[in-house]
Amino acid sequence: CFYSALFYSFFKSLVGKDVVVELKNDLSICGTLHSVDQYLNIKLTDISVTDPEKYPHMLSVKNCFIRGSVVRYVQLPADEVDTQLLQDAARKEAMQQKQ
Amino acid sequence: MFRFQSLDEDCTLEEEDDGLIEEEDEIDQFNDDTFGAGAIDDDWQEEHKRLAGLDKKDELTAGDDESADPRSPLDNRLSLPPLGFSSSSALQSGDVEDKVSEGGLAESLARLILEADPAVAGVGAAERPAVPSPGSTSVFPSLHGLLSQSTSVQQQQQRLSSVAPPPAPMLSYQQQQHLLRRGTAPIGQMNSHSIWENSLGFGPVSVPPGLVTHMEDSPLMSIIKEVGLPKRPPRSDEGPDLSERVPPPRSSSPVIGSPPVRAVPIGTPPKQPMSHTLNHQIHHPTAVHVRAPVQHRFPAPFPERLSPNTLLNIANSPLCRSPFPPRVGPVLSQIQRAQLLNSQVAGFPRGAPGLLPGGGGFRPFFGGHPPPHAHRMVPPPPLGPPNHTPIRHNTTILHPQHRRLLSQRLLSRGGDQSRPGLDRRSRDPYSNLMTPKEKDWVTKIQMMQLQSTDPYLDDYYYQNYYEKMEKRQEGERDSSSRKEHTTKLITPQVAKVEHTYRPVQFAGSLGKLTVSSVNNPRKMIDAVVTSRTDDEEKREKQVWNKRRQILYTVEKMYSLLLEVQDFEKRFLQVPEEERQTLLEQHKANTEQLCSALREKEWDNRVSDEQCVMIMSVRKGKRLVSRLLPFLSTPLANAVVMAIARNFPTLAKKDKQDQVLFWLVEPVSSVIQSLSSSLLTDLLQELQGSEGQLSSVLHNKFGVTLLYLILSEGERMQSSDPNCQLMDDNRWTELVFSVTRELLSVPASSLAPPLFTPPNLLSLFSRYVDRQRLELLQDKLQISALSR
Repeated sequence: CFYSALFYSFFKSLVGKDVVVELKNDLSICGTLHSVDQYLNIKLTDISVTDPEKYPHMLSVKNCFIRGSVVRYVQLPADEVDTQLLQDAARKEAMQQKQ
Repeated sequence: MFRFQSLDEDCTLEEEDDGLIEEEDEIDQFNDDTFGAGAIDDDWQEEHKRLAGLDKKDELTAGDDESADPRSPLDNRLSLPPLGFSSSSALQSGDVEDKVSEGGLAESLARLILEADPAVAGVGAAERPAVPSPGSTSVFPSLHGLLSQSTSVQQQQQRLSSVAPPPAPMLSYQQQQHLLRRGTAPIGQMNSHSIWENSLGFGPVSVPPGLVTHMEDSPLMSIIKEVGLPKRPPRSDEGPDLSERVPPPRSSSPVIGSPPVRAVPIGTPPKQPMSHTLNHQIHHPTAVHVRAPVQHRFPAPFPERLSPNTLLNIANSPLCRSPFPPRVGPVLSQIQRAQLLNSQVAGFPRGAPGLLPGGGGFRPFFGGHPPPHAHRMVPPPPLGPPNHTPIRHNTTILHPQHRRLLSQRLLSRGGDQSRPGLDRRSRDPYSNLMTPKEKDWVTKIQMMQLQSTDPYLDDYYYQNYYEKMEKRQEGERDSSSRKEHTTKLITPQVAKVEHTYRPVQFAGSLGKLTVSSVNNPRKMIDAVVTSRTDDEEKREKQVWNKRRQILYTVEKMYSLLLEVQDFEKRFLQVPEEERQTLLEQHKANTEQLCSALREKEWDNRVSDEQCVMIMSVRKGKRLVSRLLPFLSTPLANAVVMAIARNFPTLAKKDKQDQVLFWLVEPVSSVIQSLSSSLLTDLLQELQGSEGQLSSVLHNKFGVTLLYLILSEGERMQSSDPNCQLMDDNRWTELVFSVTRELLSVPASSLAPPLFTPPNLLSLFSRYVDRQRLELLQDKLQISALSR
């Protein structure tokens, strides 16, 4: 009985797309969304650190698993998102919650 | 306060077999549950005194005393409770042994008291002057005092009589006298060794002290002992059977509300085929729920599986290489290998780890083609370029459309990459840590959490997104290649089980038990949900500003609209019986929607004001555009009329958003179903008062709307020569005025429409002369060729 169903469903539809994940420790990682789970943990492939390589320890890393709780933002491609559908889904979720 | 019970049940001696102990059962069962079977409720002071007294007695001890039964102090200590209990049971069982042991315990207690408290001795002396020796005098009454103390504890049970039978204390007194004079004591035997032995003897139920050490090795046994405790058979000489009062063992609490008991609990890792040698060590005969058998991994036979560490040690130690693989392989490689699924990629199967390919070698997850084994013992991986293989997705859970997209993407990306790392991957030291079975098990647990009772609702966004995408793609393709069936996502659906908790009630008892468990968690707060009624909402709304009020209305309508939209889908899914109710609900929803458009409840007409209000908000326009197809025809017509009538206002409000075009499609469908008279009316409304038409023409949507109307009229005329459009002159006049306006308006201010209907030219050709027609043509850029 919480919103994770909505976000999980939403991120599932973005699997295979390129996203930028900004973490709470200010690290921004750009990569292809490989998978997501119900806790919104994210797996990215072919990653690169977007900021001017302030984080050299990431140079050799190609794929990563990010725990959902440390994510601050996920930047998405705008044309891959159907905002109307998202609004509808949110309304449905709200209706469900009320019941 | 002595807890005789614990002493009793821990001792394996005969005197514990006493009916009166049952009464203690209930109390001390909980004690044992809480503190464990080995809990000793001893007074540390006594222990200390006993130990301290040792030092004195030890000096007095002769060697022959060591042959004495180390248990005899135990006897002494234990005999007191039967002393108290057997006051009644002596009447029943008349166990001679009891009396003997009673005396022993009494005697030891007496000794303790003697050593301990002179005050007690003093009291005793006052009470019984008749006793010969002063020392022993004190003992008897104090003993008696103790007895009465102990009996008062037990006096809940009425079976206990407080009468201490005369013979027993006398015996004990005599014994005690004798012992005292002897001066030696079984206490002398109570050196530290015997103490610990005794305390060990207080351990688990009915276990001879010799077995204790073995017991302590496996904690599981102690759990079993705990669990097994209530199952003691009731004593034959008992009246009411007290074992019923013992709570049931937690491992098998039934229907009450706890999750179903499984033979193998959910969290059990899969059984490994090679660990037979370890199985006998695991005791799980009776404990159903207690613990899953722990499988040991690393004592595995050599060739099958090795941890990376052992591997590397083997590999590198004789070769004196650095133990760390210089390459940083992708962490996900394991998963990638594990997920060779219905991938449509002409993928490269990942090489198996290059160790001894035993029978338990790696097998891909869903039975894809087996990867080639690299038969190598020593894997010294050279440093190479980073990995380029495409990464597998678990595609079974994806929509087929999604799957197709992904594979396309992977193909396009992976096609132009070299393949240098093939051999390197085969020597991944982190491979083979889990068997496919284990991976399966982990995935199963995770997927179990995702099972939903209503996948359409829970996964709304994803499913609809891909449905829409499919429709879009279908539309883009030629309609000739239209598929017979659209691909659908099949999601696993768990049946919704109603978990209403009904409290357990025993027959004939008052009240109900409440057992809280996973399925029925305890209520923390007694909160009552009070939802405010609509009236109150309205009253509160008046305080807000207008905009918020509009938004609120829009949202309410939206929820109704969504229900209405989903109606069809749900109708198909729902079984026969429920369809009627669904239908009724649907009707109610639509009714509510319609009434929302009206200003007053009883007024049947669509309120202009309301419509305009709703459409002044961006959301509202979207709402109306989606709502229009669901409205009944008269209502829909009315709405469209309202739009036309209030066009300037709408246009003004839309200046920022520019989203009136959302209305084009639904409005056009409405227009096409209009009758001719209505169409004329509509055109009239659109033209409206003076100057409205010019504003219409300035607006993109307005122009579009105009064109729509005109083209519809034209279609009517051309298709049906008897159409009533020409019956009165209104239409003609209106068209004339439109053309006049069109010609007079400067071309720059004329907004380009969203689309130009093809038959406009033919329309205009009816009404205007050639010259004007050409002018119009130029202005409006209508091509002469009709498509």
